[in-house]
Amino acid sequence: MRELLPWLKLLDEQRRRLLLGALLMAFTLLSAVGLLGLSGWFITATGLTALAWAAGQRVMFDVYVPGGGIRFFALSRTLSRYAERVVNHDTVLRLLATLRSRHFAGLARLDAATLGRLRAAQWLNRLTADIDTLDSLYLRLLAPPVVALAGVLVVCALVGIFHLPLAAALAAALLVLLAGLTWGMGRWCQRLSAGQVGQLDELRLRSIEQLQGLAELRAAGTLGGHQQRLLASSEQMLDEQLTLQRRVALAQALTGLLLMASVLAALWMALQWQQAGLLSGPVAVMLALALLALGEGLTVLPAAFARFGATLAAARRLNEQVALGSRLAEPARPRDVPDRLDIHWQQVSVRHAGIAGLDLQLEAGTRLALIGRSGCGKSTLAALLARQLDPDAGEVRVAGVTLTELALADWHARIAYLTQQAALLHDSVAANLLLGKADASDAELWQVLEAVGLADLVESLPRGLDHWVGESGRQLSGGEGRRLALARVLLKGAPLVILDEPFSGLDQATRERVRQGIEPYLRGRTVLLLGHAPLLLPAADRVVYWRQLQ
Amino acid sequence: MQPWLYAAVAAGVVEGLALLVQMGLLAWLIHSALVLARPMAELLPLLLALLAAAGVRAVAQYARDSLAQLAGSRVRQRVRRQLLGYWERQGPVRLAGHSSASLANQWVEQVEALDGYFARYLPQQWLALLVPVLFLLAVFWLDWLAALFLLISAPLIPLFMALIGMRAERISQQHVLEAGRLAGHFLDRVRHLTTLQLFGQVPAAIDSVAQAAERYRVVNMRTLRIAFLSSAVLEFFASVAIAVVAMYIGFGLLGYISYGPSAELTLFSGLFILLLAPEFFQPLRSLAQHYHDRAAALGAAAVLSRCGELVPAAGPVATPPSGAAEVVSLHGVSLGYPGRGRVLHEVQLQVRRGEVLALIGASGSGKSSLLHCLAGFIDVDAGQISLFGQPPGALPVAWLGQRPFLIQGSWADNLRLTAPQADATAMRAALQQVGLGELLAQQSQGLDTPLGEGGRGLSGGQAQRLALARVWLSEAPLVLLDEPTASLDPDSEAEVVAALARLAASGRTLIMATHQPALMALAGRRVALHNGRLVDA
Repeated sequence: MRELLPWLKLLDEQRRRLLLGALLMAFTLLSAVGLLGLSGWFITATGLTALAWAAGQRVMFDVYVPGGGIRFFALSRTLSRYAERVVNHDTVLRLLATLRSRHFAGLARLDAATLGRLRAAQWLNRLTADIDTLDSLYLRLLAPPVVALAGVLVVCALVGIFHLPLAAALAAALLVLLAGLTWGMGRWCQRLSAGQVGQLDELRLRSIEQLQGLAELRAAGTLGGHQQRLLASSEQMLDEQLTLQRRVALAQALTGLLLMASVLAALWMALQWQQAGLLSGPVAVMLALALLALGEGLTVLPAAFARFGATLAAARRLNEQVALGSRLAEPARPRDVPDRLDIHWQQVSVRHAGIAGLDLQLEAGTRLALIGRSGCGKSTLAALLARQLDPDAGEVRVAGVTLTELALADWHARIAYLTQQAALLHDSVAANLLLGKADASDAELWQVLEAVGLADLVESLPRGLDHWVGESGRQLSGGEGRRLALARVLLKGAPLVILDEPFSGLDQATRERVRQGIEPYLRGRTVLLLGHAPLLLPAADRVVYWRQLQ
Repeated sequence: MQPWLYAAVAAGVVEGLALLVQMGLLAWLIHSALVLARPMAELLPLLLALLAAAGVRAVAQYARDSLAQLAGSRVRQRVRRQLLGYWERQGPVRLAGHSSASLANQWVEQVEALDGYFARYLPQQWLALLVPVLFLLAVFWLDWLAALFLLISAPLIPLFMALIGMRAERISQQHVLEAGRLAGHFLDRVRHLTTLQLFGQVPAAIDSVAQAAERYRVVNMRTLRIAFLSSAVLEFFASVAIAVVAMYIGFGLLGYISYGPSAELTLFSGLFILLLAPEFFQPLRSLAQHYHDRAAALGAAAVLSRCGELVPAAGPVATPPSGAAEVVSLHGVSLGYPGRGRVLHEVQLQVRRGEVLALIGASGSGKSSLLHCLAGFIDVDAGQISLFGQPPGALPVAWLGQRPFLIQGSWADNLRLTAPQADATAMRAALQQVGLGELLAQQSQGLDTPLGEGGRGLSGGQAQRLALARVWLSEAPLVLLDEPTASLDPDSEAEVVAALARLAASGRTLIMATHQPALMALAGRRVALHNGRLVDA
């Protein structure tokens, strides 16, 4: 239960809207109780008055006051229900929008290594489904039981005016029922409903994987088996859902039955007192019908509390994520980035990459090519320089200033870094390029596309710069996507450029063309180049082989 | 409609009947005690009958709910199966324009959205017709004028609801689209957080996520407001009808109404009518509550059925020429993509069994498209393809793309993707062949060591070699390789080339698109593609 605390605090921010929503909800229920109870009283009273008149008694009966009351409750029930729904759903969606962007902002603070430990597919779920699940916190789990409780107390108080012991017995019975529908239902369904989010998550992950591997699986003829497995997990999820739904149906049926039993008990007692002359007939009917009208507030509870476990699980997962922090410390008083970018990896060690006490320098305005086989650790040096991670020992210095003394954002603004896995956004060609330089003109975009030899291709696309690039750039070939990512980096015009295997996936002719095309973008900058061979990289002032460094 | 749904409707009718009996007995109990002044002890059988009616009602209600839910669950499973089939028929090339996230969102969330329609809306649609008629008949028998009030107010309701519903449907379709886009937007931004950080674009991305969520709220509220309005109309009519009936009965009992059947009214019939009036509207109110289920389901169904329309008619499978069992052959193969023009022109090619062929050519010359045709992912516009006497897609083919495809799971899970039967020995041997034997030896749990998503924890070269090991494990006679060594350094490449040579020596036919001289050297023959035409190399 403690996992819900941070979310309850968040609800507190919208306190006034939520209070208004709850009041409207309560007013709706009480209107329903009033409508049925008063109508019952009215009909019984008129019936008995007519009997008295027939018996020749002179009894006064005012039809206008109860009539007005009935009309009032009829209208107030409709209006308050509509207002309650609009107000509450709007509040909840507002909360959700805030939650989503705050959560994304929280994720964006994390460093590359921490991000890497989580998986993209899981995050999608966290950002949408988990937060969506939490909407039930107020609308389903908090307000309805409170309102139902208020309804029970009001009706029992009404009964209490006429007969205190009966009111107490009714209150006790209804409170037990209420506890069963909320706490009991939540406990009974906790395991099943908590598992559902995970099952959906798994189903989503596996279906994304199947889509990504469609080519390989279909070619191999094993797609059928994988589809069967996916369908089997879907079937299992549906079966557990059914079990859960059956429990809800059972609880709802029992609620109706128990409520009817308490109505009958109350009516039975009231009629006995009426015959003993302790109570008037119309009041006896009114009390019974008011109780009957409470059903509206009670029957919504089982379905809501069956999902209690799911809400708890979602809150727990989101809390875990909130607790994550970046492993990269930001300096309290950041220093200015030096103008001359003389880089020095000073005795750096990164344990997981097998780098120990490595020393390397890159002079400002020169180009250094670092050659080594894949997986040797040269990309780690680039990541250190871009401060995607900090070394376990040693430090990276820029003109004598340690990187950790600079604000991350300041430093990133000085770097243009083409990573090995640089991927394209699921967006237009232009939007992908504009990541590098948000205010670039179309002319600049075409110029950089020309430099990487993509101008002709983009021109031939039906929508040109606005052409949509598929997920991970799949509608472009591997080499084309790589060149677009390169163009994005060059467009940034940063003084320090890091290119990690910039020409991978390019044939020799294209490579030569791009090598010449990008030359103007590298001139006069400090450049770190990483690759398998000097031939596969732009021309460098100095070539260092990884073997020599170790 | 499914048999389960009929059963659910039948249970719902029984529930209505039980309710009718229950309310009648309740009114009679009150009438007997108050008007007839019968001693309570005499009324005990009535009380027991009332309890019995309430019990029958509870059982029928439970049966109705669980039967309808069963139907909903069956439908969802069937649609999931159909969608998987659709993906398979579309193939990787035609699905490439959609993000996997939004397709997966269709398969998971939007199919779930169908549940409300089948489990709640559809049975309720019948019950909203049958049960009120039942109650109306009872009221008619008691007092035809009161029945007339109910009858007049009832048809107005569907009219108003239809008007409102038409708008709700349009809006809800937009809602489904927006939800899918939002899912894609999030996954994409989250996946590229590192890139966004490097480009200093995080604040802009946070803004765009906030805007997307806000847009979602606005679209959602529009749908909801309409849905709430339609149920408010209903509640209004229901409440007013109850009020009118109560007033009519009251005045009738007092004898203020001289016209019609009201002189016959008793406390029993008056109370009975009053108790039935809200129940008369209840099925319609439930229907309205489930109306957004219908809207959500129809919105989802529209998106899903668009998938159905896109399914291309299967072209006639041409019988390959006889004696073709030993060759892979292409005759006059042409292919074009909408928006990209022709990518293959009249390609003519024969590859003998066991041959190793290198397909060379500049980026975008059509190499990948040719491989896709051979794998059967796309149907050619003209010409014929025969793989050892079979049409493409009939035989298993081993495929290795430009990006390694790895799933979240262990090394063994990844290896078994295309070779489900492979045992540990075979897997170890395959890993040895691609130069990963050493790395495997370092893993803490051997083949059961988990792998991160997208091969995180492995270098690009290692990930590609792991995928290549899968090719080694498969028994497919034809191996299609799309630039398999593009991301490898010379040392790793040499290992892979050696493994491929061993693969070729085992009698398999290799067709590979490549730029790498080392791979070309491995090939017995090279052909070059230039702007979609085959030229001599």
